[in-house]
Amino acid sequence: MSEHASREASLPDDEAGLLAVRDLDAGYGDLQVLSGVDLDVRDGEYVTIVGPNGAGKSTVMKSVFGLTTYMGGEIRFRDEPIHELAPEQIIHEGIGYVPQNENVFAGLSVRENLEMGAYILDELPQDRLRDVYDRFPILEERESQTAGSLSGGQQQMLAMGRALMLDPGLLMLDEPSAGLAPDLVDEMFDRIDRINDDGTSVLMVEQNAKEALRRCDRGYVLANGQNSYMDDGDALLDDEEVRQEFLGG
Amino acid sequence: MDANATIERGVGFARSSTGASIVTAFGAVLFLDLVAKLAGVSLGPLETPWFGIWFGGDIAVGQFAGFIWDGIVIGVVIGLASIGLSLTYSILNFANFAHGDYVTAGAFSGWAVTYVIAGIGGLLAITESAVNAVTGLGTYRLEDADLVRLVLLQTAPLEAGANMWLSPAAIVIGLVAAAGMTIVLSLILDRLVYRPMRDADGISLLIASIGVAFAVRYLVALVFGANRRIVTSSEKLPSANLGGVIVDAHEVTLVVVAAILMFGLHVLLQRTKLGKAMRAMADNRSLAQVTGIPTERVIKSTWIIGAGLTGAAGFLLVLSQGGLGFQTGWLLLLLIFAAVIMGGIGSIYGAIAGGLVIGLASRVSLVWLQGDLASFARPTAFALMILVLLFRPSGIFGGVKTA
Repeated sequence: MSEHASREASLPDDEAGLLAVRDLDAGYGDLQVLSGVDLDVRDGEYVTIVGPNGAGKSTVMKSVFGLTTYMGGEIRFRDEPIHELAPEQIIHEGIGYVPQNENVFAGLSVRENLEMGAYILDELPQDRLRDVYDRFPILEERESQTAGSLSGGQQQMLAMGRALMLDPGLLMLDEPSAGLAPDLVDEMFDRIDRINDDGTSVLMVEQNAKEALRRCDRGYVLANGQNSYMDDGDALLDDEEVRQEFLGG
Repeated sequence: MDANATIERGVGFARSSTGASIVTAFGAVLFLDLVAKLAGVSLGPLETPWFGIWFGGDIAVGQFAGFIWDGIVIGVVIGLASIGLSLTYSILNFANFAHGDYVTAGAFSGWAVTYVIAGIGGLLAITESAVNAVTGLGTYRLEDADLVRLVLLQTAPLEAGANMWLSPAAIVIGLVAAAGMTIVLSLILDRLVYRPMRDADGISLLIASIGVAFAVRYLVALVFGANRRIVTSSEKLPSANLGGVIVDAHEVTLVVVAAILMFGLHVLLQRTKLGKAMRAMADNRSLAQVTGIPTERVIKSTWIIGAGLTGAAGFLLVLSQGGLGFQTGWLLLLLIFAAVIMGGIGSIYGAIAGGLVIGLASRVSLVWLQGDLASFARPTAFALMILVLLFRPSGIFGGVKTA
């Protein structure tokens, strides 16, 4: 392992896998947030993006999902360019996205929330529903309760469950630990580990950088809308510069 | 619990929430007064320095029941018309001021179709009477044929009308046409006006809708004229006297059709995929988008359902009231808004409940507002809305998002 974490952001082309972002410029309206961002997620990989507030972490995810203003660069999923697709088409391609806040339909029941996750299919996929219920048994127990009446942790599970209804190849999670009680955070990360172990690639943005880097395969450090460091999670954790600059020593 | 404790609790309530106790006391006095009136007991006048106050009096049970029935009829139609406004408010996030004119457009297009169809009957009668005049065959005579019934366009007030008994097919087809034409109108207006500004803020959309309201209203006036006219007739219309309440076939039709439509909407929202998606969008539009719900298609369905119900409400309103003018819906809009706001803006169940409360308040208040005071019936409904909002600022069903 190198002494310093790599400043090279992109993987060699022959290693590029599921998601490949190259030299991405994006923002909101006239405001450019990202400049020249590179990012890769290989099949089955667990990747996290960490960095200070306002670094553009969530914007990377939103850009992949077609929710920002595209300003240049390349976003390829399974080797197909997706930057011109609408969110519902991107879902169709196999990307699931769990936004950070208000990520359940509070007035709908738990089951209805899950049904909405499979809206683009003609029939509700019973096997997927079964799988989500097996993964999060509390959701089956509370099936007919409104989502708004669930606790924060349960809402987070519901939001993930909804994104898993289409069995996506890549699951993008925006700050899954935000707002959770400390004792629930570990449990949440364990669940994400299991989703990844079962074969779904995960791209996660996390404020809780140390824990996220410990869990992931590979991490990106983003600052001021640009790549700063990229390496294995443990390597980033061990790196003196990264620790000084981004992890509070 | 002993009496002292009860009194103490009462005093505590009166101290802690003075407003509520005044309202409760006033309501109790009105209720006792109503009971006394119905029982025919009267006290008074109680002399005060300025005027005498009568308590109780005499009101026939039948008359009171009549007020309630009238209140239900007008309440149901307001409720039905309010659903569309509530739907567009919750799913498209703006208060559509053109909504009242959608009601008018539905009423006119539906009744025009009704007249044309009822008129075909008249045309046959004219043909038959002409045949009769020439050949002497058949029973119909020229003086029986009523050419005026033929088209709504040229009908002078009080000269002709369609009704459920004489021309039921015309009424039914007119109802369907009212819904259909309003749907077409709303889709055209959405494409021309609202869709290009889909992401604009609520205020811009509201102002745009005021423009649309004027355009639609005066387009209707241009086509159909600015005269108010009576389009229904009570000729041979079946009606029943149920313990002093006169219930006619038009009112029954209105209540039954409206109830069926409301129940249908309930089933749609709770049981179908589209309905659930509509509720999801009302809940959180951007989340609906990232969940993969095709938002534009849901918006289109929202217009179709909302406008269909609105057009039907316009047609039914005219069926029960008889009169039709280019300002019909505009004048109703304030009541519709009152119903939607009272029910809890964005909730369709609230809109229905709000409509009923507004309707009942505006009719039952006639128990106390007699003679010249009767014109205060409408303000009473609004006063009740204000009262509800004082105690439940988010409305009866406020905070319960049901689309």
